[in-house]
Amino acid sequence: MRKKKLPQSRFRGSLLSRYLLIIVIALLFIPVVFPASLIGYQVVQSMVVDNMFPEPEAKNDPYTTMHLEKMWHQEAKRLKGNTPEMIDARIGELQASYSKVDMFWVDAKSRVRQPGTGKLKLPQTWEAADAVAYMKRYREATQQFSVIAFIGDDQKLNQGFMVMQVSRSELRTGGYEMSARTSMIFFGIILFMFLLFIAVSWMFFVNMRRRLLRLQSAMTVQDGRGLPDPILIRKTDEIGQLEHAFNGMVDRLGGSLKREREEAELRKRLIANLSHDLRTPLTVIRSHVYSLQKEQLSDKGRQLLKLTETKLGDLSGLIDNLLSYNLLTSGKYTLEPERCDVLRIVRESAAAWYPLWEKEGFEADIDLPEEPLFWIIDPQWFRRILDNLFQNAVRHARSGQYIGLHARALPSGQTAILVSDKGKGMAASSGDKGAGIGLAIVGFLAREMGLVMDVNSTTQGTNILIYQAAGTEPGLKLANKA
Amino acid sequence: MGIHLLYIEDDAEIGTWVNEDLKSRGYEVTWLQSGERAVEKAAGCRLVILDVMLPGLDGFTVGQRLKKAYPDLPILMLSARTSIDDKLEGLQFADDYVTKPFHPDELAARIEVLLRRSGSFSSEPLTLKHLHVYERENRIVNNDTGEEILLTGKQFQIFTYLLRHLGQILTKEQIYEGVWGDPYLDGDKTLMVHIRYLREKVERDPANPEIIETVRGVGYRVKA
Repeated sequence: MRKKKLPQSRFRGSLLSRYLLIIVIALLFIPVVFPASLIGYQVVQSMVVDNMFPEPEAKNDPYTTMHLEKMWHQEAKRLKGNTPEMIDARIGELQASYSKVDMFWVDAKSRVRQPGTGKLKLPQTWEAADAVAYMKRYREATQQFSVIAFIGDDQKLNQGFMVMQVSRSELRTGGYEMSARTSMIFFGIILFMFLLFIAVSWMFFVNMRRRLLRLQSAMTVQDGRGLPDPILIRKTDEIGQLEHAFNGMVDRLGGSLKREREEAELRKRLIANLSHDLRTPLTVIRSHVYSLQKEQLSDKGRQLLKLTETKLGDLSGLIDNLLSYNLLTSGKYTLEPERCDVLRIVRESAAAWYPLWEKEGFEADIDLPEEPLFWIIDPQWFRRILDNLFQNAVRHARSGQYIGLHARALPSGQTAILVSDKGKGMAASSGDKGAGIGLAIVGFLAREMGLVMDVNSTTQGTNILIYQAAGTEPGLKLANKA
Repeated sequence: MGIHLLYIEDDAEIGTWVNEDLKSRGYEVTWLQSGERAVEKAAGCRLVILDVMLPGLDGFTVGQRLKKAYPDLPILMLSARTSIDDKLEGLQFADDYVTKPFHPDELAARIEVLLRRSGSFSSEPLTLKHLHVYERENRIVNNDTGEEILLTGKQFQIFTYLLRHLGQILTKEQIYEGVWGDPYLDGDKTLMVHIRYLREKVERDPANPEIIETVRGVGYRVKA
């Protein structure tokens, strides 16, 4: 089997393209947006934030590398041309104010002078080898920050040099290193971007889901004709195309439903006309049969005429049922239920049928209680049910010569009406197939009125229980035990 | 002079046949093939037999016009349509209803019942077993004794009601509502009491009634 080709849709404006756009933006986020935001932050920080909110510690805290280095070189410049005693005094002062810093200086004669506390182990004179040893011990081996400045900040003066050193642990981070506040802001930006991505994806799918749900509800909701309403199409993407296809389908369904109804209407009209047209000649035939019976005939002829008359009766009943069914199912008669005494209707109906039963030699066993039994039914329709049942009994249960009408208490406590005969049962159908449409009418009427008709037909007879469908499925229930 | 009937039927074959049949039964029949002049022709008639399917004015329209002009004139509808179809529409003005194809005896029986119901009794006495009933004079004579049977008002009304529906079985609700004009109340024994007294007067043997027959489980009937 050939694989069905999917319809090609335009890429622009499709769901695919929109989702791809979101993914691409998300991918760009890592190599481009991330550094860009970093740089952007730095620019903003240096231009705006620092000016507006300078870090308060920057001035007051002397223990930053920048401050110490600057201070040391300024001091060295200021000490230009001073006597070693004066230099001693100044460094002593500085040592006092920067207690965490160790300071010493080496004069022109390479003598090491330590005016302050003198915590450092230093040689008396500063040889080239001492410099190396110092470097080894303090600058490299230990994590010390040190600044060396020539006195007068110029090596050529040859006044010696001054050294300060401090443990790195005593220093504040600063300069290019980030403070906790900075990193918080930066982390916030990343988090914001991440949440933004999630939110955009979320909205994308929520929107898609909402539209799909709208489509689903549009498919299940029905209008009066039993068809869904068309959907208003807002976008031309895949879902939009689906909605478009759905609208097309609704249109076609509506069209075929309309056609089907027209055909059914036509068929019903045809049946109605046909049965009407059949009846007029049938009346004429009957009139002639009747007139013929008055003529001089042999016994055989009389017998044949009698048979013809019976069959004419059956035929007219059949046409009547056909037309009734047609009319009922076309919904031409609205059910008008009212609270009425069914037993009264049964009695009245039986009264109308009684002469016929008598004529046919039926034993009518009617025993209905005096107390009324109220059901919510349409009396006209209920009479029609009884008429059909009684007619069936006369036609198809002639051999039993019995019709019974009783009230029966059901296990559920309800009262049912029992119509029984002693014919050969529906399966035998007394060689006459006319019962089908009659039962169809009865079933239809019963169902519409919410009544159950339990038909139990055996070769010994047929029992039909009629009761209100309390919780059970209304309609005709056949239990043929042929 | 028989009773005058108006018969409206467009189908020539059926019309001829019914016309002849009714005439053979002693009725005087005016047969129209359309409903156009029905109202003017109905004057003096005691009953109208009306076909539903007519050219021009349909049977329902004709029937409604007739009923408007002569509210007491009984109308019997003849129809080729189905019973429920017309029963709902037609019986709003029609007094009875016969579907085609009908048996002429059935039609004759219905006509008789309708005439009786509308009070068009013949001057001939009605003979029921040992009774002669002079309906016009409201007189009942016992043939065995030659004495007149005197009934109370309600007894007479019940008896006439049964006679108007001669041969028909009537339920106790129908009789009660027909005679008293009130809706029947459940368990009301009034009617049974009246019928017992009525039987004591009209029956030869009230324990085995022959005139007013009890149809077990259904109601009462006076057979012709």
